[in-house]
Amino acid sequence: MQPIAATDMLSPWNPGVFSLVVYTAVVLVLVGLLLLICARIGKINRTPEKSRPYESGIIPTGDARLRYPAPFFLVAIFFLIFDVESAYIFAWAVACIDLGWRGYLQISFFIIVLLLGLVYVWAKGGLEWGPSLKKKIKN
Amino acid sequence: MTPKASSLPGRFEGAADTLINWSRRNSLWPMFFGLSCCFVEEATTFTSRYDIARFGAEVLRPSPRQADLLIVSGTVFKKIAPVVLRLYEQMAEPKWVISMGSCANSGGMYDVYSVVQGVDQFLPVDVYIPGCPPRPEAVLSGLLTLQEKIKSEKPARAIFNLPGGTQGTQTPIRVDGQTKSRDPRGPGMAGTAIRGASATPVDFFDSRSDGMWTPPPARVELNEDEQATVALLQERFGDAVQPVAPTSDYATVQVTPKRVTDVLRFLKTEAPSRFQRLDDLTAVDESARRNRQHYPDFTLVYHLLSYDTADRLRVKVPLTGDAPRADSVTAIWPSADWYEREVFDLLGIRFNGHPNLRRIIMPDHWQGHPLQKVYPGRATDLPPYTLDDAQNKQPLDGGIYIRRDEGEEKLILNIGPHHVSTHGLIRYIAALDGEEITDLKMEIGYHHRGVEKIAERQTWHQFIPYTDRVDYLAGAANNLPYVLAVEKLAGIEVPARAQVIRVLLSELFRLSNHLVWFATLAHDVGAMTPNFYTFREREIILDIVELITGGRLHPSWLRIGGVAADLPDGWQTAIEKFVAIFPRRLDEYEALVRRNPIFKMRLQGIGRLRAQDAVDWGVTGPNLRACGIAWDLRKKRPYSGYEKFDFEVPTATEGDCYARYRVRVEEMRQSIRIIEQAVQNMPPGRYVTEDYRYAVPKRPDMLRDIESLIHHFVNVTRGPKIPRGQAHAACEIPRGEQGYYVISDGLGYSYRTRVRGPGFANVQVMPLLAVGESIADLIAIIGSVDYILPDIDR
Repeated sequence: MQPIAATDMLSPWNPGVFSLVVYTAVVLVLVGLLLLICARIGKINRTPEKSRPYESGIIPTGDARLRYPAPFFLVAIFFLIFDVESAYIFAWAVACIDLGWRGYLQISFFIIVLLLGLVYVWAKGGLEWGPSLKKKIKN
Repeated sequence: MTPKASSLPGRFEGAADTLINWSRRNSLWPMFFGLSCCFVEEATTFTSRYDIARFGAEVLRPSPRQADLLIVSGTVFKKIAPVVLRLYEQMAEPKWVISMGSCANSGGMYDVYSVVQGVDQFLPVDVYIPGCPPRPEAVLSGLLTLQEKIKSEKPARAIFNLPGGTQGTQTPIRVDGQTKSRDPRGPGMAGTAIRGASATPVDFFDSRSDGMWTPPPARVELNEDEQATVALLQERFGDAVQPVAPTSDYATVQVTPKRVTDVLRFLKTEAPSRFQRLDDLTAVDESARRNRQHYPDFTLVYHLLSYDTADRLRVKVPLTGDAPRADSVTAIWPSADWYEREVFDLLGIRFNGHPNLRRIIMPDHWQGHPLQKVYPGRATDLPPYTLDDAQNKQPLDGGIYIRRDEGEEKLILNIGPHHVSTHGLIRYIAALDGEEITDLKMEIGYHHRGVEKIAERQTWHQFIPYTDRVDYLAGAANNLPYVLAVEKLAGIEVPARAQVIRVLLSELFRLSNHLVWFATLAHDVGAMTPNFYTFREREIILDIVELITGGRLHPSWLRIGGVAADLPDGWQTAIEKFVAIFPRRLDEYEALVRRNPIFKMRLQGIGRLRAQDAVDWGVTGPNLRACGIAWDLRKKRPYSGYEKFDFEVPTATEGDCYARYRVRVEEMRQSIRIIEQAVQNMPPGRYVTEDYRYAVPKRPDMLRDIESLIHHFVNVTRGPKIPRGQAHAACEIPRGEQGYYVISDGLGYSYRTRVRGPGFANVQVMPLLAVGESIADLIAIIGSVDYILPDIDR
C-alpha cells in the first residue's frame, strides 16, 4: 500500500491559536449574555405545581427511575459477533496480494458463511426487537 | 409609585418597557391546548388561509413549559378544570390567558351541571373572544387585542428589582356573587321569576301543551322477520316477553328483569336473525311521567341490531325502586361494560355481576345521578365552581387504574387529558415495559356536556343547535339523526328537495371531517405538510357551507320537517367548482403520504382489529369496514333518500391502521360522487313540509295567514307538542353510526333523549388494538381510529 503523497491536492490548513481563541470568546460571551438576559427578564416564580413533572396535566404516578429493559440485547450480541468476524476480513485485506487466489477463495467462503448466518438471523426475526419481535413470534 | 421612589431615570425605564414589551408581544407562544369545538377554529388559524405566524405567534407549543399564552378554547368542564389550572401554573412566566368562545367566557349555551360557568372563576383572563365558535379571524383579533394590552405593561421595574410595575395577567379571578353574577335573568330583571314561565322542569306543571290535541304517533307495520322474531320470543319465553305494539320505528318487546339475560343471549346466538350487535344500552327515569301510574320507576332499554337481516330490535326492561338492580350483560357483549357503567353513573341503576361498576362520566367524588329527574339540570341551580374546587378535586391517580404488585416495576404513564395526540379530552393510562404497552386503561367523561339532560328542558326545535356540537367536526350531519327520529315519531313527511339538501350537507361535512382526520393522522405519524394542504380544501368546503347556511362549524341548518331555508343563488357553481378540483387534490395528498415508506411502516400491521371483535364490541363506521365488513347504514337501512344515489361502500380486510386509512380516503371519493349526483338531481319544490303542526312555518306564510302565525308562535315559544311515544333513528355520520332515541311525553320538550355516539363503542376497543404495540404506535392508532370526544362523553 502506498501512502497518499499528493499534499497539494488538499487545501492548506494551518491550525492557528488566535482564531480559536476569538471564536471561543465570541461563543462564551454570546451564550453568557443570552443566559443573563433571560435570567433578568424572565419572571421566576417557583411553586410546587410548577416544579412538578408535566404529564398531560395529571399528577404523575410512581417513579420514572426504573430498571429499563434492554430489548435490543440480541441485536447487540449479533452486532458484536459480526463485528469481531469482520476483523478477520481486515487482516486478510492487508495481505491479500501475498495470499493470492487461494486466500481469496478461503475468505470468500468465510464471507458466504457469514452472509448465510446473517440471512438466517434476519429471517428468524433476530434483528427485530421490542413489540415487533413479540408480534412476530405470536404470528 | 412616585417617580422619586425610583432609582431609575424615568426615560430609561420607559425605553426598557417599550423594548421588552415589543419583544414579548411579537413572540407569543400559545399552548397547543384545546377543550372542544373552539379549538378546531383555533387550529385553523395556524393553517394557510389565516396563518397566525404573521402576528408573531408562530407554532402552538405542546408543553406548558414552552408556552406563555393559554387560549382556553371551548367548554370548561368541572372534571377538566383542575387540569386546566395545573397547566396554567406550569406555564412559563410572565403569561397571559385568552378565553375563547362563549363556553369559556360564561358557560355559553351549556348551563348544565357538568360545566364551569366561565373559566374566569378560577383563572385570570386578559381577553375574551365572543362567538360559538369564534371564527379564525376573531382569534387573530383576540391576539391583536392581547398585544395591545401587553403594550401597556410596565415590566422594567420588576426586572430591575424595583417595587411596582406590571407584567403578565393581573386581572383577579371572579368570585360568584361578588364580582360575577350567574343570575340567568340578566341585570335589571330581578323582579321576574327566575326561570320565566310557570312550566319549568322537571314536571312542567301547568304546561299548555297538556290542553292541546295532536294526532297519535306514527305507526309502522312490522316486516316478516320482525314478526317472526317476536313470535319466536313469545313461544320460547312465554309470559316473560310482551310485545309492545304499535311502535313508530321497529319491533319492541318488554321483558321481565329476571329473564333478560336469557332473552338477550338467545337473540344474539340462536334467533334466526342473529342480533349480534348491542347497539345501545340506556335507561329512562319514569318518575316525572304525565300518567305516572302506567310506568315503572325506571326502564332499561337495549337496542340490538342484526347484521344478517339489517333488522333492529328494542328490548325494554321495567325496573322498580329508587336504586334498582339489573343483571349485567357483560358476559354476552363485552361492550356492555361501559354502557352499564354509564347507566349506573347517570341514572343510579346497579348491575349484578358487572366486573367494575364505577362512575365513568362524572368525576368519582360526584354526588347524585344527573339524569334522574330529581337532579337539577342547570349549573346555575348548583353551587358555583371555585378556585378551591379546581385545586382540590383532582382526577384519580393512575395507580388506581393499573394495579402494581409488590416489587413489580412498570412505568405508569398518563397520556391525556391534555395531550396533542389524544385529539381531545381523554385520558389514557398506559403501563409500559420499556417501550411496549402491557396494559391500557382509559378515563373518559372530561368532555361531558350533559346534552341528554339539556334535551329534557329545551323545546324540540331549540335542541337542534346542541346536536351540531355532539360531533363538532360533522356539523349538519349531526342534525340528521335527531330530526329523523322526531319526524319518525310524529309522522312528518319531508319534501324531496329538503331530503337531498340534507344528503348534500351531510356529505360535505363527511369530506370536511375526513380532511381534518387526514391532516391529524399524518401529523401524528410525523408529517406536518398535509395539514396545510387539507385545510386549504376544507376552507373551500366551509365556504360552501357558509354560502348555504351562514355558519361554518355549527350551521344548525336542519329543521324538523325540512331545512331552515332554500338554497341560495350561486350554490350550484360553488359546488361544481369544488367538485371539479377536489379529486385531483385528493390524489395530491395521497401522493404525499401513500408512497412514503415511513408513513406505511407506521401504519401497516399496527393496531389490528379482528372482524369478530369489531362486531362484539359494537364498532361502527369506517373502523368496522376496515375489518372487512361491508356495513354502511346508507346502504343497509337507507334514510333521507340515500337509496336513490349511486355510490359504493369501500372496505378493506386487514383491520390495521393502514386499512382504516384506505377506507376513509376511498370514502372521500364516494362522497364526491354523491355530492355530484345531488347537484345534478336536485328536485324542485319546498324545502320544508307543508304540515305546520310541528314545523316552524316559512316566514312569508307566517306573515300571510293566521294558521301559520299560530303554529309559528306555538312552535317557537313553548315548542310543538309531539305525540306521546318513542322513536329511534340512526345515521352513518363520518365517524360511524350516530343514533338518537327520543321519547315524548306529549309536551314541547322531549321526555328523554338518548344519543348513541359512535366514539363510545369505537374507543372502548382501544386496548385490543394497542396492548402489545409500542408506545409510539398508540399515537398512530389513535389517529387512525378517528374519534371525537363530545360524542363519547356527550
